[in-house]
Amino acid sequence: MSSYVLMKILESTPTRYDRGIRLISRGTIGRVYERVAEIAVTPGARVLDLGCGTGGLSLACAARGASVVGIDKDPGMLEVAKGKAASGDVEWIELGAMEIEDRFEPETFDAVVSCLMFSELFPEEREYVLSRAAGLLVPDGLIVVADEVLPPSAPKRFVRKLARWPLAAATWLATQTTTHALKDLSGLISKAGFRDVHEEHIRPAGIAIVRGANQGLAA
Amino acid sequence: MKLQDFPGWLRDTTLRLFPHRTRPGLRAIGKPDAAAPVIVTGNFTLTVRRMIETLDGRDVWLLVADSQGINVWCAAGGGHLTHHEVVAAVRACAISSRVSHRMLILPQLAATGIEPHKITATTGFETRWGPARLEDLPAYLDRGYRTVKRDRHMRFPLWERMEMAVMWAAPMTPILMLVVWLLIDLRTALVCGTIALIMVFGLLAAVPYVPIVGAKRFVTFAALTIFGAALGSAAFFALDSPTLVQLLGAAISATVVTLVLSVDLTGSTPWFPSYINSFKNRFDVELVEDKCTGSARCVLVCPKNVFEMDGHRRKVRIARPDDCLRCGACVVQCPEDALRFRFADGRIVPPSVVRTTRMNMLGRRSILLETADDS
Repeated sequence: MSSYVLMKILESTPTRYDRGIRLISRGTIGRVYERVAEIAVTPGARVLDLGCGTGGLSLACAARGASVVGIDKDPGMLEVAKGKAASGDVEWIELGAMEIEDRFEPETFDAVVSCLMFSELFPEEREYVLSRAAGLLVPDGLIVVADEVLPPSAPKRFVRKLARWPLAAATWLATQTTTHALKDLSGLISKAGFRDVHEEHIRPAGIAIVRGANQGLAA
Repeated sequence: MKLQDFPGWLRDTTLRLFPHRTRPGLRAIGKPDAAAPVIVTGNFTLTVRRMIETLDGRDVWLLVADSQGINVWCAAGGGHLTHHEVVAAVRACAISSRVSHRMLILPQLAATGIEPHKITATTGFETRWGPARLEDLPAYLDRGYRTVKRDRHMRFPLWERMEMAVMWAAPMTPILMLVVWLLIDLRTALVCGTIALIMVFGLLAAVPYVPIVGAKRFVTFAALTIFGAALGSAAFFALDSPTLVQLLGAAISATVVTLVLSVDLTGSTPWFPSYINSFKNRFDVELVEDKCTGSARCVLVCPKNVFEMDGHRRKVRIARPDDCLRCGACVVQCPEDALRFRFADGRIVPPSVVRTTRMNMLGRRSILLETADDS
């Protein structure tokens, strides 16, 4: 058993999560939330935020007039989210991304959004969540996923690793928060059957925002 | 162990203080078929490695849930191995299409984090607790998936105490030696490093025979420090005529080793409650007898045999409160919410809070306490 002291530090991370993510994203995380919300939200849209964590993205969507459900399996994270002032319609639910089928009816949402969550899942989980998310979306509904991505070429990946290491270590020491990166986020979304997949990047943190549309009625 | 596994084993054992992730998912041990049992565990490399070795020669499915590379007990206690992770693993690996039965064997030490009824409700899989220790799994399987009393209680044998000693010594000794080397010289550093190793291994070997909990632990720690300093001084005298700096170095090194150990020696064992729980405002498990219906789930999950069933009255009782680790497994599992934590100052922690905030006693939970109702 790891030391109880170490555990104590680790499990109180939700309160330091926002600071950690701000650091490791080099201050770009706010822009990521805003951009995802801008793409996903039309006023009055019903939006599901998968792995909402401390609620940054959910609140950005709500502020644009969406009615948002933020789900996360970590009650500690949700507690922090609930403590934030919400301008708009947000509901917080303790639920894993792998459990959305238990809670929501098919075609409940106009958009499904997610930030820095898919990289926390293992590959089979990613496929499963995407297939279930498609089921909850209305025809032509949008999925918008933001996550850290690795460059496609091996030398660039190596350089990125070198450049990221000091910042990641410092962030972990200060806040016990870190992120992982995905290899091919667009490919993942395409493979799940979404169409019109489009990827854009928020620099310099290496965060990609990928959007895709659910199959339409005719499909 | 195969030769090629040795480097991994060495890394996992020496650096076991830190998480080590192995890929979550389904692993086939032997040639499991649709009737083979499904055993759930976390993705700490050391655990999965041992699991595969222990179950060698059998045909079982090993379902590795994503516990963030943390061992089952710590992950469950810290909220990283809960019903959410088990449900996710069951679904991601499509277990229901691989086996014809609907039964998962869960690690008993995850009872602080996993609420089994939630797994059943979402996946249709019934669950039962396996033994507390994975080396008891073969006998458990032979018995037809039933634990006996001995399986449910933790042990802390010498080989495991030596592993804990490695866990403490591996990060501490090189740092200590480096500092002493930079400040004094290499020879002093080597002596101080050796003292540190002897102190750590010696203390953990002596754990059953010397007090390391309660106020008497300070006597043990004082004796340990004097022993270390004396041993170091003796070594310097044997090697050469020592300088004052060297003797001071040995004394300070011995003190530092004791200080590091005294922060949370017991919290790193599966045997004693953490010191942190006994600082100020100690808390204990409390039974609300009126609510108890004698389901005895607490008896089945307690790793320290704290509870006893009174079959006559259909109630449990807290028979050995001093053995309690405050892991909260009993509180989480009680179907009647008849167990809860009570702090020395009278505040209580209701089961609903224990289930969602896990072991975080010092932080958020105490805030929640002020608003908790006393029912």
